[in-house]
Amino acid sequence: MKKISALSLLTVAISAAAPAAQAGDLNINGFLSVGASMLDKNDAEIAGADNQGGFKQDTILGLQVSKQVNDSTSLTGQLVSRGSDNYSTEAAWAFVTYSANDELDLRMGRLRIPAFYYSDFLEVGYTYNSIRPAEEVYRIPFSSIDGVDLAQRFSSGDIDGTVQVYYGRYQGDFESNGTVYEADFRNVTGISVSANMGNFGSRLSYNQGELNLGSPAPTGTGLAVAQGSANGLAFLYGDSSAAEDFNISGQTSSFIEAALTYDDGTYSVLAEWTAFDHETSVLLDDQAWMVSAAMRMGEFTPHVRYSTQKDEFDSGVEGDIQKQFGLEADESSITLGLRYDYDSSTALKFEVQNHDEKTIGGADGDSVTLYSAAVDLVF
Amino acid sequence: MKLFKASCSALLISLAASTAFAEISVIVSASNPNSTMDQATVSKIFLGKAKSFPDGSQALPVDQDEGSAARETFNSTVLGKSASQLKSYWSRLIFTGKGTPPKPSGGDAAVKAIVANNPNIIGYIDSSAVDASVKVVHKF
Repeated sequence: MKKISALSLLTVAISAAAPAAQAGDLNINGFLSVGASMLDKNDAEIAGADNQGGFKQDTILGLQVSKQVNDSTSLTGQLVSRGSDNYSTEAAWAFVTYSANDELDLRMGRLRIPAFYYSDFLEVGYTYNSIRPAEEVYRIPFSSIDGVDLAQRFSSGDIDGTVQVYYGRYQGDFESNGTVYEADFRNVTGISVSANMGNFGSRLSYNQGELNLGSPAPTGTGLAVAQGSANGLAFLYGDSSAAEDFNISGQTSSFIEAALTYDDGTYSVLAEWTAFDHETSVLLDDQAWMVSAAMRMGEFTPHVRYSTQKDEFDSGVEGDIQKQFGLEADESSITLGLRYDYDSSTALKFEVQNHDEKTIGGADGDSVTLYSAAVDLVF
Repeated sequence: MKLFKASCSALLISLAASTAFAEISVIVSASNPNSTMDQATVSKIFLGKAKSFPDGSQALPVDQDEGSAARETFNSTVLGKSASQLKSYWSRLIFTGKGTPPKPSGGDAAVKAIVANNPNIIGYIDSSAVDASVKVVHKF
């Protein structure tokens, strides 16, 4: 009895000393995914895997430190080290949050672009059933910008949600068809709206940015060659002005997304549709979507997913020229997986994915099967 | 039909009683001016979707330690989520700096002591541990 009252006195003393709960606390959280994957044959490209087996493509370590400076201001930094990037470490997030009130947050620094349903927790494998998001759909080759965003939460009756607007700039690597360019994407901006009601959720996002690519644009392969040959082809097609549509720098690309979710605790469904619209004709517009369904049975969650992406040609001479490049793709995957919740912070996952490249690089492709296993944890 | 419904609920009640779910009380300090709160309000506060009590004052939820019987009952009954689902829910918020889960703060006695001393804090304990230092705002 004496022991208990001493303990409760202690907790009273502690809670009295820190009445604003978590103010001043340094929070350290992290996540770790370790995966292994293997393709049956090397006839198509998916998840960076090959038929020799690999252990690093799905391996990711993230460490986050956050501190509540005072009632309205907090600092958050997240370092992520990815096996797919030879474990080079990057600050995925580094921002200061100012909460104007309970519903309105202003953030400044390095932020994730809220383009996708999974964007906020893209690399925290523990938070979703599959080993990785659908590659056909999650195809924006960069995920963070340096800038500001404003998030307004709302709640009305049974509906609650968030409206987020952001503005910033991306300076870093940009990969297109196997070539890495130095990119400086300016005026990257957009809005995302998400709303939840009971078991249902929905999300919409619109995003756009201005493309600027530095070296090695003039002499490399890929975009530079396409850009160069567009000039010649435009002349051949008797429409020299069409060549201008193949310029890259200063052109705007936009991306829209819509998602619907359902989760009643046992059954869950996620459907997500996305589309790219590029002002420059060097990059092909496309559409991609996925549907996944899962059933929770205690610790076991079997799930299935269909995902697909298809490039689209512009109309007119630009489209005719694009067809000569041999860059277009039309691909899809069916994924079957099982998640096992070992404990409340560790999940084991197994997956088989059939990836079919109907068209790749403008030619007929092949179909491959990817086998993967992963352990995901959060701490 | 009515009879069927009635017998169903009677069955459910007796089932609930026979599996010996201890009654849990959601509590605030005796000096907190708020009275009864419904399940939706309590759930919103514990999921970080609402940050204030119905009267507008700041609400700070505290959890019981992982593995406590009260916590498991509270999670499944009031929040309607398993421990893994909750971990996933909070992970989605933690790693975006959008929220932090309620702090695990011990068992019934420790939570009661913390709640009693701060009118902004809300917690839950086994109903048998309730005394005059705290006020029950929701029971299940």
